[in-house]
Amino acid sequence: MPGFESLHYANPLDLLRRFIPTPLKALFRVGSARVRVRTNDITLLPVFPLEADLEALGVKSWEWRLIRDADSRGLLEPPLFIASGALTIVGMGPACLIGVDREKRELLAFIGRAIGTRTHQDFLIPLFSELISEMFPTSTTLSFAAWNEASINE
Amino acid sequence: MMMLTFNRQTLPFRTEFAVAGTRCVLATNSLEVLQSAAGWRQGTDLCGSASFEMEVFVDSAMDNRAHQAAFFRGHRHLVFALLPPRSFVTYDLLRRRVHGILSVAAARDCFFWNNLLLPITVGVLGTTVGVVPMHCACLDHDGNGLLVAGVSGAGKSTLSAAMAGYGFSFVSDDWTYISKEGSTLVAHGLSSRVKLLPDAVRFFPDLRHLAPRTTLNGELAYEIDPSRTEGFAVKHRSHPRRIFFLERTSQSGCYFVPCQSDYVRSFFEKNAERLPDELVQAKAFRTSIIQSLSSCAAWILRTGESPQKTAEAIGDFVTGANNARV
Repeated sequence: MPGFESLHYANPLDLLRRFIPTPLKALFRVGSARVRVRTNDITLLPVFPLEADLEALGVKSWEWRLIRDADSRGLLEPPLFIASGALTIVGMGPACLIGVDREKRELLAFIGRAIGTRTHQDFLIPLFSELISEMFPTSTTLSFAAWNEASINE
Repeated sequence: MMMLTFNRQTLPFRTEFAVAGTRCVLATNSLEVLQSAAGWRQGTDLCGSASFEMEVFVDSAMDNRAHQAAFFRGHRHLVFALLPPRSFVTYDLLRRRVHGILSVAAARDCFFWNNLLLPITVGVLGTTVGVVPMHCACLDHDGNGLLVAGVSGAGKSTLSAAMAGYGFSFVSDDWTYISKEGSTLVAHGLSSRVKLLPDAVRFFPDLRHLAPRTTLNGELAYEIDPSRTEGFAVKHRSHPRRIFFLERTSQSGCYFVPCQSDYVRSFFEKNAERLPDELVQAKAFRTSIIQSLSSCAAWILRTGESPQKTAEAIGDFVTGANNARV
């Protein structure tokens, strides 16, 4: 498990960690969508094709803000899923909190320090992709539909 | 796994109530929540207040989940809150909406609603619905509000409790919610419990009969319910006229040092939570409230006395029989 001491963030006027810097940026293609990922941890970048067509950016692009939360310990808990209007929220305990605003085309995720690369790439990234799918939530098979805490938190 | 779509089918019961000068439009699937809300509706004037929507789904499956300490995170307009007992609440600050999945234990618990969910909701959403949460206490004297501000650990809560014991009406001790009615400032309290650190037992010996408990921020503290404390008069609102910035000193006596509006403005701005750029109107509104507060009469109160003696000195000061050195 990597240490995340360098990502520790403390600001008494920002108790919600709203302003954790996310200096790493990359563009990816997820299906037909272009996704601009911003993160504070390079291991959270998806293993997707890089989007090279910069000119095409703008119309259908999403922004993902993937924040490694160095102060959040613990593993993923069974998901709670809230859909209301343009918002989709997924809570898996402090280890992972996800918010998707389809109107603003933004996805936000706080990812705890105990979430390893395999869990992130094999479980969370596919989940993010499904959450931004045009078909969501009517005809997608959510990657956590067959939730198995032991195997996902391996 | 629990998947919930919040709509009129899943949340068929609706009501409205006022909280800290705002109007909450509540939708829920729980008759218990609806019945509890009847208490909050009493004596509230909903006209003209800015509103927010709160959608609350109560699910008994939540009661089987693992215990969770309070946990908060946010980014831009979204805020997540995990609240004990076993509840998950999210805030959308742009659309002024709250969504929550509550355990049955939380839904039934007055302490949860009055000391966690509603204060946190007004704290998170407030600036977007015309109420600015300010980190200060508020007491009332003959309809005149008196704010007690100061850095953490200065002793605001202990002094507030002493002032309530001295005869001031208690409005709030830790967070005060400031709104405007026309051009008049209004300070709202939520009757939350007063938190007194363990060393407060030196000044309030009756605390020995209580057991301190761990508060949301992890501190051990005694919590007293002002509405059930003998000798305390509680008010839900007041009009702020005076501000005292509390500073502890080793020198005996209470000193009231007048301060300028720039000091007031700078103090509150410096201690305000950072807001994201998206919330332009909320930021502007908070600035206007701080600007209005800066026109209140204000003093730095340096005290080396006990909370009771300091309360007495403030009492003398505001009634004009000023025995303190100014």
